[in-house]
Amino acid sequence: MLEVRDLTAEFIREGEVLRVVQRIGFDIAAGEAVGFVGESGSGKSVTARAVMRLAPEGSSIRWGGRILFKGQDLLALSEREMTDVRGRRIAMVFQDPMASLNPVMTVGQQIDDMLMRHMSLSGAQARKRTVELLGLVGIRDPEHRADDYPHQFSGGMRQRVLIAIAVSCEPDLLIADEPTTALDVTVQAQILRLLMRLRRELGMALMLITHDFGVIAGMVERVYVMNNGEIVESGAIDTLFAAPKHPYTQALLAAVPRIGTRRSA
Amino acid sequence: MIRMVLVRLALTIPILLGVSIVAFGLMRMLPGDFAEAAAGTTSVSAEVLATTRAQLGLDRPLWEQYGIWLKGVLTGDLGRSFATKRPVTTELLPRLAVTAELTLMAGLIAMIIGVATGLASARLRGRTDWLVRGWNSLLLAVPNFVVATLIVLVFGLYFPMIGIFNYVPFAKDPIGNIASLLLPALSLGLTVSVTISENTRAAVLEVSSQDYVMVARAKGLLARTILGNYLVRNALTPVITVTGLQLAALLGGSILIETIFTIPGMGQYLFDSVTRRDYPVIQAIVLVSSTIVLLTNVLVDIAYARVDARVSYE
Amino acid sequence: MSDAPAPKKHHRGQTMVFIGLAMLAVLLLIVVFGPSIAPYSPSKTSPNSLDGPTAMHWLGTDSIGRDLLSRLIVGGRGTLFITFVAVALALAAGLVLGLTSGYMGGKVDLIVMRILDVIFAFPVFLLAIAVVAALGPTVRNLILTIAIVYTPAMARVVRGPVLSVKRWDHVEAARSVGVGEFAIAIRHVLPMVISPILVQTSLILANTIFTVTALSFLGLGPPPPDPNWGSMLAEARQFMELAPLTVIGPAVAIIFASLTFIVLANGLRELLDVGSR
Repeated sequence: MLEVRDLTAEFIREGEVLRVVQRIGFDIAAGEAVGFVGESGSGKSVTARAVMRLAPEGSSIRWGGRILFKGQDLLALSEREMTDVRGRRIAMVFQDPMASLNPVMTVGQQIDDMLMRHMSLSGAQARKRTVELLGLVGIRDPEHRADDYPHQFSGGMRQRVLIAIAVSCEPDLLIADEPTTALDVTVQAQILRLLMRLRRELGMALMLITHDFGVIAGMVERVYVMNNGEIVESGAIDTLFAAPKHPYTQALLAAVPRIGTRRSA
Repeated sequence: MIRMVLVRLALTIPILLGVSIVAFGLMRMLPGDFAEAAAGTTSVSAEVLATTRAQLGLDRPLWEQYGIWLKGVLTGDLGRSFATKRPVTTELLPRLAVTAELTLMAGLIAMIIGVATGLASARLRGRTDWLVRGWNSLLLAVPNFVVATLIVLVFGLYFPMIGIFNYVPFAKDPIGNIASLLLPALSLGLTVSVTISENTRAAVLEVSSQDYVMVARAKGLLARTILGNYLVRNALTPVITVTGLQLAALLGGSILIETIFTIPGMGQYLFDSVTRRDYPVIQAIVLVSSTIVLLTNVLVDIAYARVDARVSYE
Repeated sequence: MSDAPAPKKHHRGQTMVFIGLAMLAVLLLIVVFGPSIAPYSPSKTSPNSLDGPTAMHWLGTDSIGRDLLSRLIVGGRGTLFITFVAVALALAAGLVLGLTSGYMGGKVDLIVMRILDVIFAFPVFLLAIAVVAALGPTVRNLILTIAIVYTPAMARVVRGPVLSVKRWDHVEAARSVGVGEFAIAIRHVLPMVISPILVQTSLILANTIFTVTALSFLGLGPPPPDPNWGSMLAEARQFMELAPLTVIGPAVAIIFASLTFIVLANGLRELLDVGSR
């Protein structure tokens, strides 16, 4: 479904060019769950954003290569055409739920506007679907909660809302960029379970970005390990866990506490 | 919420008292005798002066005079004008209405220009940003009475449109009234638009880098939806605050503008009273405008808390 | 990620400060040498009244035939003198009040700030008009009035940084080795608050130019026959239909003077990296 070839990403500022993703290629099949692991600065987040063609506000990024989504090169689309892909075909969940919701709109409005944009629903129809979605991601009393503002929700609840936003138009691919990093440990597991369940129910492909091998264990089938803008190793998750080849992968795996082992204090 | 309003209002009371003392004291700072000033330019005998003093209550101790005056103020009695002998309140109110209209129009114009230029400068960046900032620096250097003079020069000499400088009362012709105030409001509002523009620019830049704007883009929303619902709505809160706080500048500026365009507002009333040394009027105007400024600041605070749910939560 | 790299900003600040200082030099030249560089005596009349620009009178003449360029130069001296002295006084008063208030804190701070709040509540220009009207429009009264109305703004700018600076480590260290409180205030706290004060002073200078010229524009400036930019503009306005160009001279002079201080303030702000408020 998604075939990425020779992808490069270059930040351009003050005439200087900084290449942060170096000619990488990867594939994601329909319904497949794939992990991208690497430290911050490894280029994994930029890679995820490349698929959405989202540059950070105020900076300019030059993309290179090809991103074929169902045979269509996303990098060749106009910005206007790209807005029909974003949210509708490919959706994204971000790292910091505390900062990801618009503080002056109710939570419900922030799902409504997306449904009305992509699914050509009326306001009333959109709200009905919004309430369903909020229920689906495990928000209690969704009819009333839809009219609350983001500051009335906890971090974990906000991430649930953001997941509801992302899956609202039943996209083919869901990109989750460090979706649990900003959350408490107990909440992390809940959010991961929610993502797994929705993936199964909606038949989405999942691209899970994380720095933590512990997060992707049991979540994905295949893994790409990134370092310095390159993919240094890839393969089925079990093989990689059992016998990591690249020293960088070995180092990352060594940092994960295993169940049953106890670190000496 | 209600508690916050009450606290803010309660904090204003001592400042208002201080303001009233300054306004009252200003009149007593006069060189010479207040009674002489009250009698006008004609030289008068000592007995007449004594009578005037008794009439005005000037033979009583200062604190008592202040008390009497303050009691009057609280019941809406601002004293009598020396020049016309009529109650200041009756003379001031219609003029205050004219000034309020001019000030509000100027504020609106400043807001439109400021938000538009600030938004353009933050969104388009590059050359537009450079242009807007240069224009703002220049505009800041041109005092409103110079703007007004130049406007009168350009429109009066080269585009002598009919009636453009003749003030038309609202009751007579509402549309003509607004039209006649447009240019004065523009000269008054231009300087203030700079502050609004700079604040809009900063606020929009700040909001642009927020995660929720990235999320909005990731949702595939149209550019105009993102601009309206995500950028502007969030950036506007600080901008509204700033506009409210500019009221003092607008009120002060209206004095000059009204004089230049001969608009019968509070400013011109003050100016005339200053030339005539009509002290009760000066005192009343100082008190009234400071009160308006103070109360607006309180209103801005409250509006801020209402618009921005985050504030009341902290 | 979005802010420009520091060196570029620094460089731009330097350029602006340089331009501002050059403009300031022109203004200072006028203040110091005023009458001696003016081509004519500012009060010398001639039969050619309301002339446009000529070789003899570069900017033309006014309604009673006085040379406008000379009046502009000598008038600038008056305007700028009042401005500089008034702001110097406001700065001194603001420093004393702000340092005392911020440094001592507690009751002193509370009382000083409440009093300044009262002055702050008045629209500056309105208060200036009222005070000048009450005291009479002389140069001394103008200076005093302007100094009074701008003192609160100055004091606040000083107080803010003082409050945060006085808790810093090296201030604590000085106190612990027994350096006197006054010496601490002058030697350790003052240098830290210099940058915002410089920026604010430039802005207030620009505002003061506005207030001084506006007051004289209304006829509340220094009494005639001394020329003054504000009164010149008011006078030119009366004869605008006959000699429209006479408006330009004083208007440009006023704009030039305020622009000087705005350029300086913006340049200093970028150079010294002071926040916008």
